[in-house]
Amino acid sequence: MVEASNAVVINGIIVFLSLCGIGIILAALLSNRMNPFGLSLVASIASVSVLLVGGEVLLSGHSVQTELWTLPFLGTLTFKIDRLSALFVFITGLVFLPVSIFSAGYLKRYLNRYNLKTFSIFYYLLFASIVLVLISGDILSFLIAWEVMSIFSYLLVNYEHEHEETTRSGFLMLAMSEAGTIMVILAFLIMAKASGSLDFAALRASAGGLGEVARWAVFLLSFFGFGVKAGLVPSSTWLPRAHPVAPGNVSALLSGVVLNLGIYGITRVNADLLPVSQVGPGLIVLIIGSISALVGILYAATENDMKKMLAHSSIENMGIITAGLGAGFVFAASGLPVLAGIAFIAALYHLINHSLYKSLLFLGAGSVDYAVGTRDMDRLGGLIKIMPWTALFFLAGSLSIAALPPFNGFVSEWLTLQTMLQSSAIHSAGEKIVFALSGAALALTAALAVTTFVKAFAMSFLGMGRSKRVKKVGEVRRSMIIPMGILALSCLLFGILPTYVVPVLDKTVAPLVHEKVADELVPPFFTVDKGDPKFGGAFVSEFHDLGAQVGRSYLPGRGLVILHRGLEKNPVVFAMSTSYTFIVLLFLLGGTFILVKVLTRARKVRRAAAWDGGIRRLLPEMTYTATGFSNPVRVIFNAVFHPSTIEDTKETVAGHFRTAIKNGRKEVHIIDRLIFKPITSFIQSVAVTLAKMHAGSINVYAAYVLIGLVLVLVVQRLLL
Amino acid sequence: MVQSLNKATEWLNLSEISANRWPGKIKVRCKQDRFICHMECDKSIVADVCNWLFSELDYSFASLVVEDLASEQLLTYIFYGGFGNGLICVSYRISNSTTTVPSISNLIHAVDWHEREIEDLFGLVFEGHPRLGDFVLHEEWPEGINPMRADFDPSNPYIHREVDPDWRPLRIVQSPGAFMMPIGPVYSDFAESAHFLLETVGEDVIRIIPRFFYKYRGIEKIAEGNAVEHVILLAERFSGTSAFAHSLALCKAVENISGIEVPPRAKALRIVLAELERLRHHIGAIAGICSSTAFAVATSQASILEEELLRLSGVLTGHRYLFGLNILSGLSIDLADDAIGMLAKNLRGLMVELNKLKKLLYFSSSFLDRLEEVGAVSLEDAVSHGLVGPVARASGLLRDIRKVLPYSGYEKLDFTVPGEEEGDGYARLRVLFAEAEQSVNIINQVASSLPPGSVNAKSFRIAPGEALGWVEAPRGASFHWIRVGEDGRVLRYRLTTPSFSNWHGFHLAAENFAFQDFPIIMATFGLSNAESDR
Amino acid sequence: MSKWVIKGLRTGIKTTQYPRKMETASGVSPGLPTAAKGTEKEVQELVFNCPTGAIERSGNQLTVDYNYCIHCFRCKRGSQSPMGWDYGYEWAANTKDSGANRGLGSAFNRSINIRFVDGGACGACISEIEQLNKPYYNMHRLGFFATPTPREADVLLVAGPVTDHMRLPLKKAYDAMPTPKLVMAVGACALSGGIFGPSFMSDAGVSELIPVDVAVPGCPPPPLAIIHGLLLAVKRKSSALLTSSEVRG
Repeated sequence: MVEASNAVVINGIIVFLSLCGIGIILAALLSNRMNPFGLSLVASIASVSVLLVGGEVLLSGHSVQTELWTLPFLGTLTFKIDRLSALFVFITGLVFLPVSIFSAGYLKRYLNRYNLKTFSIFYYLLFASIVLVLISGDILSFLIAWEVMSIFSYLLVNYEHEHEETTRSGFLMLAMSEAGTIMVILAFLIMAKASGSLDFAALRASAGGLGEVARWAVFLLSFFGFGVKAGLVPSSTWLPRAHPVAPGNVSALLSGVVLNLGIYGITRVNADLLPVSQVGPGLIVLIIGSISALVGILYAATENDMKKMLAHSSIENMGIITAGLGAGFVFAASGLPVLAGIAFIAALYHLINHSLYKSLLFLGAGSVDYAVGTRDMDRLGGLIKIMPWTALFFLAGSLSIAALPPFNGFVSEWLTLQTMLQSSAIHSAGEKIVFALSGAALALTAALAVTTFVKAFAMSFLGMGRSKRVKKVGEVRRSMIIPMGILALSCLLFGILPTYVVPVLDKTVAPLVHEKVADELVPPFFTVDKGDPKFGGAFVSEFHDLGAQVGRSYLPGRGLVILHRGLEKNPVVFAMSTSYTFIVLLFLLGGTFILVKVLTRARKVRRAAAWDGGIRRLLPEMTYTATGFSNPVRVIFNAVFHPSTIEDTKETVAGHFRTAIKNGRKEVHIIDRLIFKPITSFIQSVAVTLAKMHAGSINVYAAYVLIGLVLVLVVQRLLL
Repeated sequence: MVQSLNKATEWLNLSEISANRWPGKIKVRCKQDRFICHMECDKSIVADVCNWLFSELDYSFASLVVEDLASEQLLTYIFYGGFGNGLICVSYRISNSTTTVPSISNLIHAVDWHEREIEDLFGLVFEGHPRLGDFVLHEEWPEGINPMRADFDPSNPYIHREVDPDWRPLRIVQSPGAFMMPIGPVYSDFAESAHFLLETVGEDVIRIIPRFFYKYRGIEKIAEGNAVEHVILLAERFSGTSAFAHSLALCKAVENISGIEVPPRAKALRIVLAELERLRHHIGAIAGICSSTAFAVATSQASILEEELLRLSGVLTGHRYLFGLNILSGLSIDLADDAIGMLAKNLRGLMVELNKLKKLLYFSSSFLDRLEEVGAVSLEDAVSHGLVGPVARASGLLRDIRKVLPYSGYEKLDFTVPGEEEGDGYARLRVLFAEAEQSVNIINQVASSLPPGSVNAKSFRIAPGEALGWVEAPRGASFHWIRVGEDGRVLRYRLTTPSFSNWHGFHLAAENFAFQDFPIIMATFGLSNAESDR
Repeated sequence: MSKWVIKGLRTGIKTTQYPRKMETASGVSPGLPTAAKGTEKEVQELVFNCPTGAIERSGNQLTVDYNYCIHCFRCKRGSQSPMGWDYGYEWAANTKDSGANRGLGSAFNRSINIRFVDGGACGACISEIEQLNKPYYNMHRLGFFATPTPREADVLLVAGPVTDHMRLPLKKAYDAMPTPKLVMAVGACALSGGIFGPSFMSDAGVSELIPVDVAVPGCPPPPLAIIHGLLLAVKRKSSALLTSSEVRG
């Protein structure tokens, strides 16, 4: 089955798996002190091999399939890499590479406290299982790899097991993950029953034979089952608990890679194996995505723990990706494959971006935690002077996640929101309303994301240090800065070169929607002639007239992202070019800088302290805290947060001299409050009711036996 | 009327009751004609006596005067306006070496800032007061140097001490994420120097830490050793926007000591000018309130009236802020009949405009939204914190010195004391409008029957002694205590101003409101730091 | 709301014509004493009555140092030979320190930003400065604007004798201003400490702490005098004298 040209892929995977094996052996042999270095080295090489494998398949487009061995009664274990797998594999490598380098320095904090050998072993096993999940070609290997991945991500999150909080959060994560897995297994079983095989190819082939109910069941089970891993509402609660307790590098992997697996599962099942053929499931995906995005960002905006905030923001981003997928499903089911393709591209683009900037931000948060020892933004501040590089890269990550050009978040959020606007092509008014509301929710999300990350950056890095610890620290070691730099640069590149990324994504998406949209989305303006029938004359000439061809030999040929071609009269409706924006920005900023320098060259620069109203000394406690900054959000969205006052007391002497004012509030997460609390209390009340049946009297139990017997007989009678 | 009939008997009773309650520990000496009652008591019962007056007899606390006399220190608590509508001075003496005295601010919270001030300036520690220090003298003032002590040389500059970098103002808000929002001392476009630290977790002000006395000029100290005529200049200029009221209070005190008879025409004209000042102040305060809500047209309209009154004052008296008018025995200038006529005519026109403005404001809902239910002070709080003036009257505490301790002929006039009950910003605005109307009414009454004669006595002698002068200044009750020595020089001058009394209760209004309400609440209080800081 | 518009329009223009034309309305200025000549007894009485020592004597000639005059009117009222009185208001003058801050330069002639610092003023000076922002004087028409931060200010307006506690804030505000900058002392207290300083709590005016370029005498200086000071600061008006000239003949 092996195609010769793809030997590199097979070999790559073999090299990768061997490296993981070598790593494990090495980890066992090396001392605790040397382990971080070994991990960093071997895992980095393994990441590179994964990047090569993913990149090769993505660019060449040849699927690679290989059968390993056949298990009795169960079937053949198959590995298969198509473009969809390759994309996720590539992202995995992209995140694992910098995180592995980062680990070398970061893990030093655990020396003498935890066993670093086990950490390394778990790390390799997680890495290997993630890649195996992505390249599994049948249900069995997928599920095995999936379980291994779940267990080792749990073990890594639970690494600081000495803390009680960690164990509790890790257990919640594992429990929810297993519940999701069971749903996924059920979904697969339904499909397997129809096809009589566990092989993905067979499932795909027999998909048409499934009935309406089975289709819905597969969709619901797989979407909500994989939704647990992706951290979608309502099963998102494990995420903000697991992240802060996990080591910094593990958090980066969790958000940058593991969450993606949930999206991979949803896409693989609902777009590939059993494509959604109705609007209904698509709308559910869209609504769940939008709600996740909004709920995620609301809690992120008001959270002061850096990592918890990033975790909530992961829910938000997963929501945006899911909303994009949902839009794609709806468009596909409505017979609009081009729009479906664009929506999928937007979602996958956002997935890449999220992996990049979120792992960057988690590494940044990890660095801050490493240096200062706290992640509480109320107690940070002023770090830019002490940790300039961390600050710079955290800023790049913040700009990216806040979707500001020219960084990558802007491109994918722009695409997602613009795609939402294309819902005018759908005829049903109800669907249009859902799209409009989701679009509005996503727009609000985007605005709150800016607030959140203005807060995150400003409260941590700007202003004055709000705790004494801040003054004593220094910049983290270079091996921790460089990976952040790699990720920051990637964020920038994915931001300014979307016209190179979109065609690749287009090829990935094309088999799912059976339509190529690269020419629609990033038309080759500068290589096309005015008379080309594919593009309207006015359309092309507008760009020619705009002078967009300046530098056509140096700049990307597909220089713009276009979403709506409009009419002959008004040829372009939605278009943007971050590459050109970037160049213009460079010229504007650089030009301004030079201009100011020239104009003020004769002036002597006098530095003076910030104006403080004339008080003796501006104290750190006189600057805004993160809580204070986000308080307006808390007030405006009071209905969502629904806080209960836990303390509101004034202590006084003689009734008038106040000595203390205490007030605090307690919030139960809206999902817990609206979904889990009622369920738990219902189950508890049922349990209490049932407990009453156990009166302890022999007569009562005899009656139960009698009633039970009668019931069994009746049921048996009815059934037979 | 009934009250004034009973007055004489009440005074007698007062001394009897107190003598029965604290046998042998209190000496009561009442001057029936002047409604002043002196109670000299033992240090051990002073708190009980004061509490009796405040909570049982409904007296208001006016001032605490400490005098560092040659051989001993004399502490006098002054109360006014209670059951018997007069003044009561409760005093006790301590030796020069005594440094601790009992605090009564646990019982009468209005005394709080007085005790803090005296602790800073005299070094007397009030036992039981939980917040001493860091009040008048800021953190750079050396410990143990108390400028109001007789042995302090005010001509010498003092040495700044090194400020401890870890020094922090006391914070009491213990909410997660709480911080202090600093305002001032240099802030806003044109504002008096004052510093506020707003304790908050964002949006709402949880607690205000006011830090005042940036403008402390030591008026009380630099008055010492000067001639009374010079001190009148100080009284006039320490708070320029209520110059006439304060100089009047001082003149009355000295006239009282020396038995100087003020000619009836001067008495009447003093009322005219004091009410003119009140009118101008209130219109200025209304302009301030409009301006704090960024209501430009209304601000302009009120400001036009304010400037017209300033010009009118300038034409009538030569000075826009009525400086240089009050002298011992009367006024330095007389107002001609045609000037009075012009004043009456101008005020008629002004009232028409003011009423138009009032009507427009009362029907501007966007403006009222910023005032209604904002910065409310309850009557109970107003009483316990010793609030005075229009601010207190807006909360229903209708104590006006012009009524309870009439002076200069107010007792003969027919006017009402406007009051409201809500105690919010809008109530304070309504009181300002109503009082402005009353002021015009008073001026008209006096101007229509102005007695003839001179406006000052040609010759008089300043006698030694001590006395209290009081006046209802535009911002509220003001008390000037003065002791004049044998050589006619001032030995002790104690200023109690309405701004000082009302800043003490400002936090009641401004706490638990949003930041953006803070300047509005401040404007509705309409206080002056020059008057408060002295 | 329309009622306010009508009200505003009905009010018409109240703003003074100054500096285009001199303001002729009465009550805009308390005036300042000028000079006097008299017999030995009269001269002695006038000098003795002046509480701040503003009246200077040379022979039987009396002149006034406006840095010290606080409008107590004691040389005018109840005096046998009252001082001459000038009801003008163009009082602002350059000080001997003028140019210490090197002036603003012609670029600032048409528009400046003003930061006000209260150095312990009594309230009357502040009230008069506030009038500048109000319809009768409206300094905006002349290109003068108030700013809440010294960082944007070209002119620092200081009133009050500078109390001890305000020394640091004033110095900080001055230091926070970008160059070129000017300092304008408003009122007798800011010029000489007035009746409050020098003492244990007050300086003898602003110039003890920071160099003053423009002095506006008066207690308080009327708004028109402050406008004159601002116009002088940007060289659109010429300086007056801080001492009255002698009586001729």
